[in-house]
Amino acid sequence: MLDDESVAQDEDDEDEEQGDARDEILTPGTVITSNSQWMRGHGTYVPLNTSSITSSLAGTLTRTNKLLSVRPLRARYNPEIGDLVVGRIVEVQAKRWRVDVAAAQLAILQISAINLPGGILRKRTETDELQIRSFFAEGDLLVAEVQQLHQDGAASLHTRSLKYGKLRNGVFVAVAGTGGGAGVVRSKRQLWTMEAANGGGKIDVLLGVNGYIWISKHIESDAAAEAAGINRMEESVSSQIYSSQNNHIDVTTMREIARCRSVILALVENGVKVDEDTVTRGYNEAVEFGRESMEDDIYLGGERGQRLAAALAGR
Amino acid sequence: MPREAEPSLSERTFTLQAISEGLRLDSRKLDQFRPLELSFGDEYGVADVKLGKTRVLAKVSAEVTVPFSDRPFDGIFQITSELGPMVAPSFEVNRPTETEILLARLLEKTIRRSGALDTESLCLIAGQKCWSVRVDLHILSADGNLIDSSCLAVVAALRHFRRPDTSIEGETLTIYTAAEREPVPLSWLHSPFCTTFDFFGEDGEIVLVDTTWLEEQLRVGSVTFSLNKHGEICQISKLGGKPVEATLIIQCAQMALAKSKEFTDLVDARLAEDAKRRDKGGLMAELSAENER
Amino acid sequence: MPLDTSTYSLALLRIDGRRWNDLRRLHAQIHTQDAADGSSYLEMGHTKVMCVVTGPAEPQAGQKKGTVGSAQATGQKEGASIVVNVVVAGFSSVDRKRRGRNDRRIQEMEITIQKALAANLHTHLFPHSTITVSLHVLSQDGSLLAALINATTLAVIDAGIPMTDYITACTAGSTSSYAAGDDAADPLLDLNTQEEQELPYLTVGTLGDSDKVAVLVCESRVQVSRLEGMLVVGVDGCKQVRRLLDGIVKQKGRKMIKEGAVRRSDMMAVSLDD
Repeated sequence: MLDDESVAQDEDDEDEEQGDARDEILTPGTVITSNSQWMRGHGTYVPLNTSSITSSLAGTLTRTNKLLSVRPLRARYNPEIGDLVVGRIVEVQAKRWRVDVAAAQLAILQISAINLPGGILRKRTETDELQIRSFFAEGDLLVAEVQQLHQDGAASLHTRSLKYGKLRNGVFVAVAGTGGGAGVVRSKRQLWTMEAANGGGKIDVLLGVNGYIWISKHIESDAAAEAAGINRMEESVSSQIYSSQNNHIDVTTMREIARCRSVILALVENGVKVDEDTVTRGYNEAVEFGRESMEDDIYLGGERGQRLAAALAGR
Repeated sequence: MPREAEPSLSERTFTLQAISEGLRLDSRKLDQFRPLELSFGDEYGVADVKLGKTRVLAKVSAEVTVPFSDRPFDGIFQITSELGPMVAPSFEVNRPTETEILLARLLEKTIRRSGALDTESLCLIAGQKCWSVRVDLHILSADGNLIDSSCLAVVAALRHFRRPDTSIEGETLTIYTAAEREPVPLSWLHSPFCTTFDFFGEDGEIVLVDTTWLEEQLRVGSVTFSLNKHGEICQISKLGGKPVEATLIIQCAQMALAKSKEFTDLVDARLAEDAKRRDKGGLMAELSAENER
Repeated sequence: MPLDTSTYSLALLRIDGRRWNDLRRLHAQIHTQDAADGSSYLEMGHTKVMCVVTGPAEPQAGQKKGTVGSAQATGQKEGASIVVNVVVAGFSSVDRKRRGRNDRRIQEMEITIQKALAANLHTHLFPHSTITVSLHVLSQDGSLLAALINATTLAVIDAGIPMTDYITACTAGSTSSYAAGDDAADPLLDLNTQEEQELPYLTVGTLGDSDKVAVLVCESRVQVSRLEGMLVVGVDGCKQVRRLLDGIVKQKGRKMIKEGAVRRSDMMAVSLDD
């Protein structure tokens, strides 16, 4: 046992001497600073009768001006206003839905926070409340934006945009959300369309900030409606926005969707963060992998996944 | 599930501030117990402990049964405790609460596992007949510090208890009634007593003993020591709660030892009193035809 | 099996060749389960436990009411409640014995871990939610409660739940046979099953690098004068355990930085004091 310990000890010493101190990991109970010019942020606390900012998480240090916070290695998703999230309806209540967004509490989607069919800015009526299940029912997946946060940290969502609403024509993947680890990170674009290989058409990849991911066939919005301007467009699209029926999807497209899903899972398995860059590059890499074998293997587990991650890391 | 109402915020701050200034609501010192009353019933093996408004009753009974097959030379000894709706509506029958589980475990560790009762002496015929001693603990009213009072009640009741005398001649086992032969006390090895210390304050640095229900709700941690008068620890349990300095724990252990000696003296004194009350000259007095005038 | 303690005084070596202040091999991993928010696997000698932490998450339908067989924090309206479940596998000890959910000993351990966590975790950050800790005992060879506490600490760190500091635990014993007042008794660190059966011992859990005792459980008869010695050795052992666990967490963190899963620190912590 002594051996083990001395090894661990040596490692520490080594790091202090040679390793970059920015690779340092803060762990719970580590004093960050006793200097009173700093302010404490998330992931830190000040023990009683002291003025030293102490880490309460295992993670790395971030500084925003005078604010010090600890970014955890891994954590559950913590909602912030403006986040694009993918959620699943777990409960339908009288005037609202409760949505699982992988946070500490279920998020709330008010019936007044969705686009009701039949035109923009229509007043919510009692009929809408009665047919609340016709919009979203238990188990439905949706994409939404965090509109506001409640006192207790619960999030309110809204889908009042054409970008948001019910999800169809694709597959769902859950990985870890923000807070680090191998998962989705906040970036400029959470949603993009990419050209699939092998004639698979276009596919949409939607990386919810909460770590829920939706990969689907890209549906061209009605050109006529688009031309008619924003108001008219909402009117024409909203009639089918709550449909639970999938469009026709080609086998080739399905195959490419599945490939994309394998890429994301392989990224997660090998500790690579998931964002637009890694997914698109990983996808292209995976297409190359597929060409190696006759049967175009889309499986990316185990060794193949490691190769993929290595190829991405090599740049 | 009915829940016990929690103390209100103002009650909480008032009580805690008073404690931090060394004051308790009932004007006791921090390390002072409430007046403890121990009385015995008319029957052997009944002890009634009153500690302020907390009141517990322990009743010991014994019967002859077959020993467990894996322990043929040991008698059976069990302690059962019940916290029913009589104490507080938050206690339900047949659904043990955390308090009840911990109390049962604590008595088990303090009295049974520490070998206070010599279970081998309960064996009559190896593998066939033995005494089964059972303590039923009834909580009649709970106002904090159930653990210390329950432990005291159980120990006192067991020491007070007398089982019928027996004899074995060849293969025949005879159990004598009280009239035939004086009942005999259990083979008692040592008397462990529990003392619970409750921690208050932001750092758990204020120590209280014998807390009331209200104080118990507000504590940040507690530790229970079980010791006998010889200074043997039978059990310590600090089950989570706010971390406190190790030196404080050692201090508590010393205080618990002193307290345990006090409890021992109290139980000894009460037992002696009770024996005196019962013994009015032994069998001769019973046989005497003289009337009390 | 009786332990021959007489040989100890000759060579000052214990039955497994350790000296009095040696820990057994402590091996641990964090993030062993992909599906869980936090998970760990910990071995202290032959005691092997796994821990999975879920949450903080919306309480499950059944959890709001007091579920039998699990320790639960009540009266914590302002913070997350903590539910601890310990499952002891039938094959974990030598005598294959099925332990029901209502085993008092296990329930007591659940309550202990739950209360220790409740005082350490910053649950006020997660109101109206539940943190579920499930522990699985795969193999038992002494110091079970200590191993469970250590595994829980690692899994909770992995789940990214803020806490005051590590809670680490280990056992400490004494070579004196119980109740005997011999002064030559040595304290021992980290007992295995054989030693636990033979010698008085206690489990001590401390907070971080301090001497603050969060958990202290002693179930055997021992002279009160022995307590201090055992406690000192135990607290010291906890600090050793903390160093080991800290090393494991840091190693994992460095690996994640290397993989690019986590961004590096913006600046060095040491430069902040200037």
